[in-house]
Amino acid sequence: MITRAKLTRATVFAVLCLIGVTTVYPLVFMAFNSMRTTQEFEFNPFGLPTHLTTSSYSALFSTVPFFSSILHSLIVVVPAVVLATFASSLAAFVFTKVPVKMGNVLFWTMLMIMFMPGIVVLLPLYVEVARSGLANNFAPAILIYTAINIPYGTYLLRSNFRSIPDSVVEAARVDGASWLKVYWRVIMPMGKPGIITVGILTFLNIWNDLFISLVLLHAPNTEMVTPTLAELSGKYTSNVPVLMAGLLLGALPTLLLYAVSARVFIRGMLSGAVR
Amino acid sequence: MSSGDARAPEEMISSGAPGQTRKKRKVFPYAAMAPAAILVLGLMVVPIGATIWHSFTNWDGVNSQFIGIKNFQLIFHNPIIYQVLWNSVIFLISVPLILAASLVAAVLVYEKVLGWKVFRFLFFIPMVLSPVIIGVLFSTFFLPGGAVDQLLRVFGLGNYSWLGNPWSARFVVILALVWASFGFGMVVILSAMSTVDPALYDAANIDGASWWRRLRSITIPMISGSLQFLSVINVIYTFTSLFAFVFVITSGGPGFSTTTVDYYTYITTFENGQFGYGAALALLLFLIVLTLTIAQVKLFPNREVQQGS
Repeated sequence: MITRAKLTRATVFAVLCLIGVTTVYPLVFMAFNSMRTTQEFEFNPFGLPTHLTTSSYSALFSTVPFFSSILHSLIVVVPAVVLATFASSLAAFVFTKVPVKMGNVLFWTMLMIMFMPGIVVLLPLYVEVARSGLANNFAPAILIYTAINIPYGTYLLRSNFRSIPDSVVEAARVDGASWLKVYWRVIMPMGKPGIITVGILTFLNIWNDLFISLVLLHAPNTEMVTPTLAELSGKYTSNVPVLMAGLLLGALPTLLLYAVSARVFIRGMLSGAVR
Repeated sequence: MSSGDARAPEEMISSGAPGQTRKKRKVFPYAAMAPAAILVLGLMVVPIGATIWHSFTNWDGVNSQFIGIKNFQLIFHNPIIYQVLWNSVIFLISVPLILAASLVAAVLVYEKVLGWKVFRFLFFIPMVLSPVIIGVLFSTFFLPGGAVDQLLRVFGLGNYSWLGNPWSARFVVILALVWASFGFGMVVILSAMSTVDPALYDAANIDGASWWRRLRSITIPMISGSLQFLSVINVIYTFTSLFAFVFVITSGGPGFSTTTVDYYTYITTFENGQFGYGAALALLLFLIVLTLTIAQVKLFPNREVQQGS
């Protein structure tokens, strides 16, 4: 029996390794091939690079404005994440702890449009933005990204805040705390893991999105990372090393965010925050 | 916790603080909801209304004239639409694949073998990458003479035009989608599995139940709610979230064989400038997704209650 159990565990470990290779190898593939010459890639796309070169990176920076596209993404993503998370948590607080009639109406509206395809709203918004002379302006993009991420964020935080006992809120109220104080002193600290998880999810959503940034910010001086990478792949299908350099650098911010926040993020996701 | 959940909203108000804060109580909830409400109404609900209105016009982005249901007649007489809808149905193949991969990953991680936390960390990675990055990566793998071809050459195959053939192009898109999505599925399933009473597994072990038997008779029934939730979510994603994959991997080709509804709407609207027609297409897509969303809400009304306790 013991040997059989050991065998099972060894098999499980082996299969886990195999799946792990499929999720990690693509990153290794990007890293190795970004440091190869084009000629070497033709013959040896898999092994270690023999002659390390950074020429792909300099080629990348000279063909597309890569660093400014990272900057543009940050200009849009950071305020949108802060706004969306803040607005969602306030709304979710009202939905769970301060029930008012209008709250239900708003919640059901959000639920209905939560999975709505972006193009439905973007079509008239694009025309309106262009007509107001705000095309290629960061402000409308920030607000639209914020709005589009509020329903899901609110939905997640609503289920999250439900696990905060009402008695805690009631006790604070009996002690004479205002609702604002309850939000700040009770909900914020107790709901922190959920709020952080929602913040990270929102960051990933917006940073990784292609559609809205492609439509709203298409001028070179406002273009975000994902359209820049898509454009790069159109131009450089044959120059894989340059492409890989771009992909790796484009993935780096989200990978770093994930690496530093993995503990809270994974716990938040596992606690049911994703539903 | 669960008693708090079951409580009716009115009850909570009356049992809350006494009357002296009545006025504040009325101002605060509306002020707190205002940011979310204003943004959602102004930038989502109103635009949806505008899209509905314009779907009955010949809007070109500047001028629009009411033309009744002509756009919808055009849509249903357009053979490309049927092809595009059919493509979405084909892409649904990804849903059972995502579920299977998520389940395998979750069940194996749950065994808690050496380094299981590391594996859980690694399996999440595709989730944090942009579909653009995943798409470009996969299209690079499947380029003629690319990585996959070089591997196949070992077996005497190779130089197959993966993205030049309808079925193999769809295969590449589906593969990219499954790779991108199984991490999320794994989390949802792991989260559901953590609520299963370990005593059940102990009892099964004592009875000498095999690993497979435990999976079939304990795990899967206990997490069936999550599996249903994941199917619905992924069906919706198949209709709404393939834009970036299609954009970078195939540009909808060859022909229209990998074009999805949102990609086709994007082309008609932003490349051809037919905003009225595009609005009608967007509305069609919205109705499909709305139906699926409502189906999800109706099918699993108890999900959150289970989650909350």
